[in-house]
Amino acid sequence: MNVEAHDRRFIVLMLAPIFLFLVFFYGYPTALNLYYSLTDLSLLGMKEGGTYVGLEHYADLLTSKDFYRTLWNTLFWLTGVSVVIRLVLGLGLALLLNSATLKRYRLTTISRLLLLVPWATPPIVAVVVWRWLLDGRQGMINKFLMNIGVIDEPVAFLANVNTVWPALITIIVWNTLPLVTLTFLAGLQSVPDELHEAAEMDGAGPIHRFFHVTLPHLMPSIVIMGLLLVFWTFNNFIYVWLATGAGPGLFTNVLATDIYIKGFVDFHLGYSSAVGMVMAGIMAIFGVIYFRLVALREFKDVL
Amino acid sequence: MTFKFTAAATAIALFASGAVWADSNIIFRFNDPESEAMRAALDEFEVENPDISVELQSFAWSEARQQFLREAAVGEGPDVVHIAFVWPRDLGTAGALYPLNEFWEEAPLQAGYDDFIASNLAIGADGGIYGVPWTTDTWAMLYRTDIMEDAGITAPAKNWDELRDISRTIHEETGKIGFGFPAGSGVQSTIWFLANYYWWSNGSALVKADGDGFDVGITEAQIAEAMEYFDSYMKEGHNPQSMLGVTDWYDPAIIEGMTNGDQGVAIVPPQQAREIIAAYEKRHPGEEAPFISAMVPAGSEASSTHLGGRMLGINSNSDEPEAAWKLIEFLTRPEIIAKYYGNQFPAQQTPLAQIDFGATMSGFAEQLAVARTWGAYSDGPAQIGSMWNETGRMFGSAFIGERSYDEAAEELLNTVKDMLDK
Repeated sequence: MNVEAHDRRFIVLMLAPIFLFLVFFYGYPTALNLYYSLTDLSLLGMKEGGTYVGLEHYADLLTSKDFYRTLWNTLFWLTGVSVVIRLVLGLGLALLLNSATLKRYRLTTISRLLLLVPWATPPIVAVVVWRWLLDGRQGMINKFLMNIGVIDEPVAFLANVNTVWPALITIIVWNTLPLVTLTFLAGLQSVPDELHEAAEMDGAGPIHRFFHVTLPHLMPSIVIMGLLLVFWTFNNFIYVWLATGAGPGLFTNVLATDIYIKGFVDFHLGYSSAVGMVMAGIMAIFGVIYFRLVALREFKDVL
Repeated sequence: MTFKFTAAATAIALFASGAVWADSNIIFRFNDPESEAMRAALDEFEVENPDISVELQSFAWSEARQQFLREAAVGEGPDVVHIAFVWPRDLGTAGALYPLNEFWEEAPLQAGYDDFIASNLAIGADGGIYGVPWTTDTWAMLYRTDIMEDAGITAPAKNWDELRDISRTIHEETGKIGFGFPAGSGVQSTIWFLANYYWWSNGSALVKADGDGFDVGITEAQIAEAMEYFDSYMKEGHNPQSMLGVTDWYDPAIIEGMTNGDQGVAIVPPQQAREIIAAYEKRHPGEEAPFISAMVPAGSEASSTHLGGRMLGINSNSDEPEAAWKLIEFLTRPEIIAKYYGNQFPAQQTPLAQIDFGATMSGFAEQLAVARTWGAYSDGPAQIGSMWNETGRMFGSAFIGERSYDEAAEELLNTVKDMLDK
């Protein structure tokens, strides 16, 4: 047995406990959920269990107009728009925090400390605070906008179909942007100064240096952060449920809130499990992308 | 020395908690805000029953049913649960509640089973009695008399059209909110009650008994009409658009609006009316509170609201059902309700007939006299909770223009038909 084979066996042995852990805590619940999705299990009938209904829930789901609207809300509004905004704003803020101007005025430390405030705020607190700020009757934002003459009448930001998604995304971005910014800031600080100096000597201006030196260096961080944000946001339940309860109507319903509504409001646990399986399937696609772009490379490096 | 000190401190702590000395330790889950007063009631119970210790758990109504079902399914949960009038049937059928028939036979409560209001709602499909009616109420209108006076309005609305006229006039004359009602579509939305009151007073109902079975008792046009009626308040601006984001009748937006005079009219259960009046009196000591209650408007037929209330049930997993029954006996005593839970009325005919509602709350007394039970809604195969949530969603969808009134009405009707067919 050569050394390489011995090392591989050792690595596999060391990984075995975590593999068993994953099978027990992820594999088993997933298999159980798959089984429930094939039954008509109700929260009112958990003691006797559900009856097997085959793929009925999946057929209902995939022929339902509401499901596609919920899917669109999840993919486009909740995930797509909010992730892109966070990546762009996060990069912009990181560049600002890393700029010579802030250093010159000794504002670097205070800026970074202030940045941590939203991140240190628990999501539930953030949503409650923002609900009050955005309130259509007593909200500070309405009062401010009316005082400066931007609007004549209060806007029910979280109840108006034109404003509810932007308002929700504002809450999500406010609460989670600091992590993105700090990650990019760390990436920016690892760009060697020599590269910038060399580019400058070659006559590259600031924009040229950003696109040809800074951005390529940050790209791995951007890819990883983008994928992680997709995972965290796509699965997220708390922001939408606490801010709007999936309303008005079901206008802001997303897959995570749909699972809750079907399972614990309407008591259709079987149907709810089917929505969960579809959601897990979509997440698996993101997982494959993450694996191919990031994890596989690291895995090969190890082995 | 350290060990002895620790042991002594632990013994004192356990003695102070009382738990270690009681023969029975039970948990009571209570969903209303009066948990402090309820704790005091439980303290009195523990003095009377030194062998029983009661832990009080506070919970929110909106999550109470599903949480209890989840717990009961895995052999957990509190011993005594606070449940809505319309839950015992479903919870009993699901095996989550303990049948109380034997207790009723061996140790009947207060003036007896027949004196309790709406006790039929506690009977499950198998004939088991799964709940004890504890408190009862119905909803009525609450008006700010000072705002009515400013708007030149002399009397409360007698019918739905008059209510809209009053609401519009208040807004036009004073700039304030007229009839501000929660129009949100969240879980257990208020619009469910408003829609049913509107339908019942106009001679229809979402569910009706049909021979041996059940059927829908309403047309798409009647549902759409109710949607259009309530939507007109938002469209005309006297109930603000922000109410589309408000689901609960006890939302601070309603309580505060009525208390500070931003809003002229509300529809509330009695405990919220009392909360509003008490908040006003606290802010304006010595002043007479400018409120009157009145009946919910009539339609083509007489005014009609639901006979609501709370029951107490025993978890089927309870190890201490006898102790739990003792607690229920104590809590259903009219004098205990009056002393510790004064915002509610006892769900018993004899003490209820003796209550003096007072001038301000007289509208609730009048309304209670004509309130109806959910009847076919709770007897039929469709769960009230599911119809409630679907109604909220479809009204919400129509209010925001996601569906037309007709589309939303058709979908609601078809969903309820499906539920009744299963």
